[in-house]
Amino acid sequence: MTETNGRTPVVEMQGIVKRFGTVEALRGVDFKVYGGEVRALLGDNGAGKSTLIKVLTGVHRATSGKIVLDGEVVKIVSPADARALGIETCYQDLALVPLMSIWRNFFLGRELGLKLGPIRWLYKKDMAEQTRASLMDIGIEIRSPRDKVGKLSGGERQSIAIGRAIHFGAKLLILDEPTSALSVGETNKVLSYIINAKEQGLPVIFISHNVNHVYEVSDSYTIIRHGLKVGTYQRGELTQQDIADLITGAREK
Amino acid sequence: MRTGAKSDMTSQVTSLARLRSRLADIPVLVALLTFAFLFLLFSIASENFLTLISLTNILTIASIKGIFVIGVAMLMITGEFDLSVGSILAVAAFVFAITLESGMAPLLALTLALVISGILGFINGQIVTRTGIPSFIATLGTLLAYRGIARGIGGGNFARFTGERPFLFSVLNGDLGFINELAFPAGNARVSVIWFALFALIAAIIMARSRYGSWVYATGGNREAARSQGVRTNRVIVTNYVITGLLAGFAGLVSFASRPSVDPLRGEGWELIAVTAAVIGGIWLKGGFGTIMGAAIGIVLLQMVEQGLILIGVDVQLFQGTIGFILIAAVILGTYLTKQ
Repeated sequence: MTETNGRTPVVEMQGIVKRFGTVEALRGVDFKVYGGEVRALLGDNGAGKSTLIKVLTGVHRATSGKIVLDGEVVKIVSPADARALGIETCYQDLALVPLMSIWRNFFLGRELGLKLGPIRWLYKKDMAEQTRASLMDIGIEIRSPRDKVGKLSGGERQSIAIGRAIHFGAKLLILDEPTSALSVGETNKVLSYIINAKEQGLPVIFISHNVNHVYEVSDSYTIIRHGLKVGTYQRGELTQQDIADLITGAREK
Repeated sequence: MRTGAKSDMTSQVTSLARLRSRLADIPVLVALLTFAFLFLLFSIASENFLTLISLTNILTIASIKGIFVIGVAMLMITGEFDLSVGSILAVAAFVFAITLESGMAPLLALTLALVISGILGFINGQIVTRTGIPSFIATLGTLLAYRGIARGIGGGNFARFTGERPFLFSVLNGDLGFINELAFPAGNARVSVIWFALFALIAAIIMARSRYGSWVYATGGNREAARSQGVRTNRVIVTNYVITGLLAGFAGLVSFASRPSVDPLRGEGWELIAVTAAVIGGIWLKGGFGTIMGAAIGIVLLQMVEQGLILIGVDVQLFQGTIGFILIAAVILGTYLTKQ
């Protein structure tokens, strides 16, 4: 087990405990993510990885423990708090409106427009153009930003959500099982967007239980089992088989 | 980007599919085509249809309902219903009638009636957003409750304004003489048509070009997503209920201004006509899709069918059956067009 030397982490979760009634989902987990890295968060179903992320994104409140963002202790008690702090989360489908155009989705809740009394007059052209340019930056080509999101494939929808996070200057991007429902080709595309996001300087937490998908794109791996951190490992320290064994507990540390 | 067309499909099938998806992108188009078809049909079948009196009649009668159809349409795009519009309309008309009769200044009476209508809409919004019960049921409840208020105010009886008609009545719903005298027999166009067109235009622009419009579509299209992106969906819903209440109240005042009496049944059943117009106009029952213009065409279409059937000489009793048939056809067509 190694820790990255010297740098301050973008986000640091310390001693996170989460109890649901008598069930202890997290039993004191420390978790750090550094700038410019893709961090895989791995664990079997029910291991606690989703609970850990939900504490970070304000969906759950930790029973104890603290969260440090950019060196400052922060209180995150709602998804809105997390978002205001620059923590963007992409779920499979949750954050897009299929019946609306790509650009409207891209800018939803952050529309550009001119204030005319109670009305905000939208800069439609501007937003469509910015959407196209911004998606182009991370290697996503769309036919037209005016297309409906519902017409896009699962991978393309993920890409819109990823592009949105980068465009609006998120500090940290969390992808919750982004590839779980995708074909092989689509998965590869999404993985390339993740690498592009990293190259734009955005740290990414990539949650998955599929070792194959995370192995190539991640710089480090944190493995969780039974509510405890097994460890954090740098790329190259472990083989895929090692990781799989650590997830299932076939091998200890 | 995928084209979506499989290579083994014949070109005929793909061009049909493409036509279908293009039609589905323009929800107002189906309503417009249906409208044009029926218009042509009635024009051929009845020589009295294409006359000033017949056409102005259609528009004038449609316009009063049209004013609140706009609100109902905005709510349905948000994913909510308002069945209480007919009752709010009656409350507004009764408040207006009784305050005027008691000698209140016309503008003050109008303001009071509209404020009450807005409050009734606000109450609808609060019930729906705070309790989380389906708006269909919530506003079914307020339909009955507000009707009770209207009856209570009027003592279960008619309310009339017997004084000299104030100028305000002409502003609300005067006779559009310069249009009506264009032909003989004279037309029946009233100012309500202008109010309807004006509100429809403003609402259509807001829905297409403003941030609020985007938020309305997002709230109806995927409420969780909208909320996660910072859209205050509850505020959107409540605002739409207030707008609808105001429009329903205004429609009540407009109808009162043309013939200053109101009965306890005024507006009863109109809530379902509004829903029908919106659906025929291409608005989805589950929300997130449709346009104000579609709904506006929908209500004029309904009135045109009623007028057309009478002129053709079809028994008026068949009117509701015909509307039912058109409604179901519209939903089937809409479902077919938007099937992925």
